[in-house]
Amino acid sequence: MSYIIYIIIQIFVMVLTAPLVNGIIKKAKAFSQKRTGPPVFQMYYDLYKLIQKGTVVSDVSSWIYKAAPYVVFSTALAAALLVPVSTLVTPTNSIPGDFILMVSVFALGRFFMMAAGLDTGSTFGGMGSSREAMISSLAEPSILVCLFTAGLIAGSTSLDGMMTFMQGTGTSPTHPVVVLLFLALLSIIMMETARIPVDDPSTHLELTMVHEAMLLEYSGRHLALMEYGAAIKQLVFMTLLVNLLIPHDQLIGFAGVGAVVVSLLIYLLKVILLAVLIALVEINTVKLRLFSIPNLAALSFILSFLAFLQYFLMGGGNV
Amino acid sequence: MSSLFDTLSVIILLTSFVLVANKRIKSYIKTFRVQSAFIALAAGIMGIQSIMEEGRIDVLVVCFVIVVLKVIYIPKLLSRTYSGVEYKVEKDFILNIPILVLICCGLVVFTYFSIATIDGISQGYNDIQIVNSVSVVVIGLFFMISRKKAIGQIIGFLVLENGIFITAMFATDGMPFIVDMGIFIDMLTAVMIMGIMVYQISDKFDTINIDKLNKLKG
Repeated sequence: MSYIIYIIIQIFVMVLTAPLVNGIIKKAKAFSQKRTGPPVFQMYYDLYKLIQKGTVVSDVSSWIYKAAPYVVFSTALAAALLVPVSTLVTPTNSIPGDFILMVSVFALGRFFMMAAGLDTGSTFGGMGSSREAMISSLAEPSILVCLFTAGLIAGSTSLDGMMTFMQGTGTSPTHPVVVLLFLALLSIIMMETARIPVDDPSTHLELTMVHEAMLLEYSGRHLALMEYGAAIKQLVFMTLLVNLLIPHDQLIGFAGVGAVVVSLLIYLLKVILLAVLIALVEINTVKLRLFSIPNLAALSFILSFLAFLQYFLMGGGNV
Repeated sequence: MSSLFDTLSVIILLTSFVLVANKRIKSYIKTFRVQSAFIALAAGIMGIQSIMEEGRIDVLVVCFVIVVLKVIYIPKLLSRTYSGVEYKVEKDFILNIPILVLICCGLVVFTYFSIATIDGISQGYNDIQIVNSVSVVVIGLFFMISRKKAIGQIIGFLVLENGIFITAMFATDGMPFIVDMGIFIDMLTAVMIMGIMVYQISDKFDTINIDKLNKLKG
């Protein structure tokens, strides 16, 4: 496949699916509380409405405040290009860039988000930024060790190469390394995308919020870009999990356009199942105290480090 | 099949990490119960295998005893003991939790290197199940010395025992029946005596903190 087709499919799938995932998680949570909940497509309507509205910019803020939404959205899109939705659509010569680039691109977006939270000088913004800085610095070792382990197994640091390797070997889903990496990535998703044990995505104006506190000053188009960026970031991590650890492309027996369509449909199904799983975790846990988050981060690091250790126990061989 | 046991051994190791990361005595008991349930699951699978292949029923009986004793009876006994203690302050660890967890991580690495140098066990490769289950023993020991309260130390002892049991089970595909039963009865007596001790300590000193025991009481 050529780069152009890859980029088109990648952007198309990621951008169109990202708000849907949020809708499904909200719907599942509402179902558990015996509520009807917002429609699955609610976030699309919200984004459409927000884009049409005007923006209010505080007159004490600098250019960082206005640049941050665009940086956050574009870094999310750039990271989305590094994580293939299906190995059947990846270009023949691999994608330039690897998981280290992905993590640092996300870090760039996060840096601007934190700077924008501090920029307006509101107390909530500063509080949110400092908490986000703490959580992200705790989550980063876990992500890197986790992805390095996958990279060691596959013998490549490129996400595309890792996924292709996993497709080829037909790894059993009960393999210890796979189980540990799955749990590690799940806890990373919870920490990175402001989900319940760490941050409550459905609260506004409470002292516990982290992600929302940084966006508090934004309105209209800027807010839409920020939220869209966060949704895409969440989908990127989920794609990473489902395509790396639950590979499906080797099950499709035929090639051509039909195979790509089938592969994308299976991918969507897996993402929806993972969204339901995330909703289940959110339903069954309570939000942690801020000073208990290091404990969660330590456990998440242990999960990825144990995966790394088990890989060596296996003799560093094939998984 | 061996991959399934690998995964189970990893999950059992993971539960002991969760135990170290726990803060409350209620959640120690809950985690111990989960760990015993996973051990019972491993013993059950091994028992069914040994019935199929050799016609031995003893491993399945051991599995049943684990379910009754470690999943149901001992956790219940401990929660009853704990609810009988009047003076309850939850925090009882000496270092903070991330450091404890990282030390345990180091212990696993240590176990890995020490098992690798034993000739009989590693025939050219490292047995993942043995390393994981010996790590459970070491972590149980570490848990005992890292908690100040008597109940935390009892749980540490039980986790240590769990570790020894699965080490024996993974290494030998089921120990002789009489040995297993002997260990279980020993453990049961020990836990009961320790439960009574906790009552006595709490009665005499108004606390179950081990630190306070060096004060003289008339």
